[in-house]
Parts: sequence; C-alpha cells; structure tokens
Amino acid sequence: MVNLKKRIPFITGAVLFLLLSVVSVSQIQPFLKLTTRDYEEFSRVTIQPSFPLSFEIEKGSSFLLVKISIDIPFRIQKDPFDSRIIRSYGWTKGRDYYILTIKTKIRDFSYDYFVLDDPTQLVIDFSEADDESRRGDREDQSLLDSALSRESDQSSTQEIQTIVIDPGHGGMEPGAQGKYGTLEKDIALAIGLKFKAVIEKNLPVRVVMTRDTDESVSLENRAAIANFEKADLFISIHANSSYRKDARGSESFFLSREASDDEARMLAYLENNPAVVEKGIGGDSEDEITMILWDMAQSAYLKESSLLAETLQEELNFLLKTRNRGIKQAPFRVLTGVACPAVLVEVAFISNPDEERKLQTEWFQNNVVEALYRGLENYINSYTRQ
Amino acid sequence: MDRKRVAILGILFVVLVVLVIVFFKSGLKEKIIPAAPISPPEVEPLRLQPGQTRIVILFFLSENDTLLHPEEREIPADTSVVHQAKQTIQELIKGSRRGFISPFPPETKLRELYVTDEGVAYVDFSKDIVEKHLSGSSAEISTIFSVVNSLAYNFNSIEKVFILIEGRERETLGGHINLSRPFLPLYDLIAQ
Ligand SMILES: [Zn+2]
Repeated sequence: MVNLKKRIPFITGAVLFLLLSVVSVSQIQPFLKLTTRDYEEFSRVTIQPSFPLSFEIEKGSSFLLVKISIDIPFRIQKDPFDSRIIRSYGWTKGRDYYILTIKTKIRDFSYDYFVLDDPTQLVIDFSEADDESRRGDREDQSLLDSALSRESDQSSTQEIQTIVIDPGHGGMEPGAQGKYGTLEKDIALAIGLKFKAVIEKNLPVRVVMTRDTDESVSLENRAAIANFEKADLFISIHANSSYRKDARGSESFFLSREASDDEARMLAYLENNPAVVEKGIGGDSEDEITMILWDMAQSAYLKESSLLAETLQEELNFLLKTRNRGIKQAPFRVLTGVACPAVLVEVAFISNPDEERKLQTEWFQNNVVEALYRGLENYINSYTRQ
Repeated sequence: MDRKRVAILGILFVVLVVLVIVFFKSGLKEKIIPAAPISPPEVEPLRLQPGQTRIVILFFLSENDTLLHPEEREIPADTSVVHQAKQTIQELIKGSRRGFISPFPPETKLRELYVTDEGVAYVDFSKDIVEKHLSGSSAEISTIFSVVNSLAYNFNSIEKVFILIEGRERETLGGHINLSRPFLPLYDLIAQ
C-alpha cells in the first residue's frame, strides 16, 4: 500500500502520457473499418471511416465499386467473415481516392445503401436481385461498352513521341542459356541497344531503355519505367528457348487476358476514371491492397498491341526467312502493367544450336534490328497520326 | 476519499487506459486480411468402388509442332478428385511413354495439390521446376499449360489452376509468364 501511494503521481503522469499518445496515434492514422454480416434476407457491409466520408457507388454484374474520396493513406480494419453473398474485398488506389471492390458470390444482386451519423457509417445491404435490377444492369453494361470502344479509338491515333525498349533479363538473372553458353540477357541487350540507335537516327522520337547495362531490373519496374516516361510504345526483346530441340524462328507476343465480363467492366470503369491509371507503381504498395490497376493497365491496349506484334512479326519473317510462327498471346508478367501498346519479341531460339550461333553474330543482330525497325515504321505509318 | 480508495481508483483507471490502448493499437495495426485462398480439400462421398480405375489425358510436347499432344493414362478412381488430380500431375511429370517431350525438368516434384470450392486448383511444385527450368518463353508456356490443361481437361471441378513453388506464390518461372494469377486452360494449344 505504501509503495502504491508513493507512485500515484507517477501513475497519473504515465496515464496522461498514454492518453495523449492514443489520441495522437488515432489522429495521425485515419482508418476505415469494414464489417460484413449476414441477415436472413440480405448481407450487410458496413464501412466506418475515421474521416469524413465522401463516396460514389457503381454496380457491376458480380461486384460493387465504392469510390471513397481521400488523399491521405489510411489503414483498413477488416473483420473476418463468412457470407452467403459477399465473396471478397479488393482495393485500388487512385490519386485522391480509393476504390473498394466488393465482390459477390452471386451474379445478380441488388443493393441498397444508407448513411448513419455519429459515427459516420455507410451501410450497404446486398440481396438477390429481382428482374428489374437485372435490366438496369444490362443498360449499364452497354454504356460501359461504348465508353470502352471510345477510349481505344483515341489511343490508336496517338502520336508516337516516346518508345521504351526493354532488353529482357539482366544482372543476376541471365534468362535462357544456349548450348554454347550464350546468355539471353546479353543478346537482348545487344539487340536492344542497336535498335535504339537505329530508331534515334531515323525517327524524331525519344527512346528510353529499361536497362542499358548488364543489371537486374524487376519486371514491375520495367513497366513502371515505361509509364513514368509516358511511353507510347513498349517493345521487350528476348531470345527464346524450348524443350523441343528443333524449335526455331521468331515470335511476337502480346498480352492475353481472361475474357471475363467482370474484368471488362472493371476496366471500363477504370478508363472512365483515368486518374487511377496515372498513379504509378511504387509508392506505398501494401501487400494487402489489390492493385487491380496494374494488373489491368495493358488490357486497355490489346488491340494496338496485336497490331504492333503483327507488323513486327511480318518483317521478322520476311527479312530473316524464319518460319512463320506468327503472333501469339500469353500472360507475360512484364506486359501486364504497361499503359501503352506493348509487345514482347522472341527474336530466335537460343536453345537451337544453329540459331544460337546466328544470335551471336553482328550481321544477324543487325538483320533483326532492321526488321524490327521496318515493322515499327509500318506500325507508325499505318496506325498512328503523325 | 481515503487513500485506499484513491489507490484502487487509480489502478482501475490504469487498467482501463491500458485496455483502451491495447484495443486501439491492435485495431490500427490490423491489416486487411486477404480472403483465404485455400479452403479445405473437397470432401467427397466415397461411393466409388475400390479398385476402380479411370483414363485421364496428359498433355506433352512433340518435336513435330508447337502444340500439346494428348496421351492416355490409367489412374485409380476410387479416391477423391484431389487424389486423382495429384496422381495426374505425378504421371505428367514422370513423362511420356510414347516418346513425347516432357516440358519439365526431370527433378521436378509435386509437393501438394488442393482444390478450392470455387474450382481453383493450387498445384505446389518443388523448386526444381524453377531452378532447372530452361527459362525461355516457349518453355514456360508449355510447362504451365501442360499442367493447366491436364487438370482442367480431366476434372470438371477444376476451372483454373494456380501454380505455387515450395508452397509460395512466385512471380514467374524464369522471367516471362505471370504466375500471380490463376490460369484458365488454353485448349487452342492442343493438337487435334
Ligand atoms: Zn526472356
């Protein structure tokens, strides 16, 4: 007892200090609380921010987008849940807002929302849809579709000012290796640098390299460089390898995407909110925030990317007399985040000893560069405004 | 108020404050928890007869073209889908019996395989599939889609395939194809 008495002034001090620190922490760190609860007739999502709430809601076929205006970072507190209707949550960050994506387990749902004060809460109730809301959904879709096609028409007539060349691999990561020890990273860099020189000599455009020495650059950063430099075209250069000994020839790839309705709609929404697309990779990329944007940037340019792949491949086939392996689509990591027409060219097979030998020679590298340059010229003449 | 009461009140206050702090701090530290990607393996009624077998189709490469070529394999069918799917992948990485080319480093091992309620198969390979891989775009595409097609083609409950390495998500096998999203099968790659 005696001990405690003596300590009272100390305890009071400590209490005051702790109280102050609680207050200051909650002021510095805004947060948003997300709760999910099932009721008999509906599932309820409650969004409770510690900051003034300003929001817009947009409905998709199996998700709801809630755009929350805030230009400072905040923490998200999410209760674990198990719901009949709500599947999951995703976050996309814009310049001065976040988009909360509420994915539903059912395709046709309707929703209702209201705002409560003290503390501020946005309450959204989800239930299975009746026919009327389904009709609305369809109209909504066609509006988004037209917005989507408008966007892609615009981008195809853009003037080309900046071209980003991306020599594949580099540094610690050699890529594929030939029987005679040729490394993909070296071939890609040699061809990339030659290509840059030829473009700069002949076209009034700026050429930016994602790397111009033997260094490691992450796949995400390659896309980030392209977007930061406001690239109008992105060309990634690689040398191929296959488990088939006879594989030979060049190939041009552009990104494939899953043909899902949800993604197309999400994309259309993002295109109508271009500020989201302008926000770069990096900054605070918290793991738990789904960067839908960076998974989707390239999806907006698939048509142009396929045309670029086609014009490049045509010239490669013609000049190198390589067998036409044509253009292909595949989910290449380096292309997903690039916000302009983007292709990945596999100039030849380093795994094929004949082609490996050729890849090492100056004349073959120069031929490849000439083909790439002609293809590029054709693309610019045919598909862009000058 | 006597001193005893003051002391008790003081203690109670401190306890309260500590509780408040613990509550707030833990709340603030809490991050959004991604929805658990893996739900428990499918529980299926084992109505199947013991000793029963089924034919599955495996997909391999051929020297003749760039396509994936089917090869039949008989596996036990008296087990769950997860078990059958595991067996299918194990047979696939063992390689062809008809001279087709296997798009896997021979050291590759299947570590684990789960299937979620939503039809996503998580296939977990040993690190050999990365470390011993040829690392070219074509090589990656054939490795990935021989797995994806072999699973989606044979099992109705598998719609998509997510590839893990040593239990973890990986960006790519060798710098090309994106492993951070599940794959849908690509039946265009299959030879007729
Ligand atoms: Zn490569």
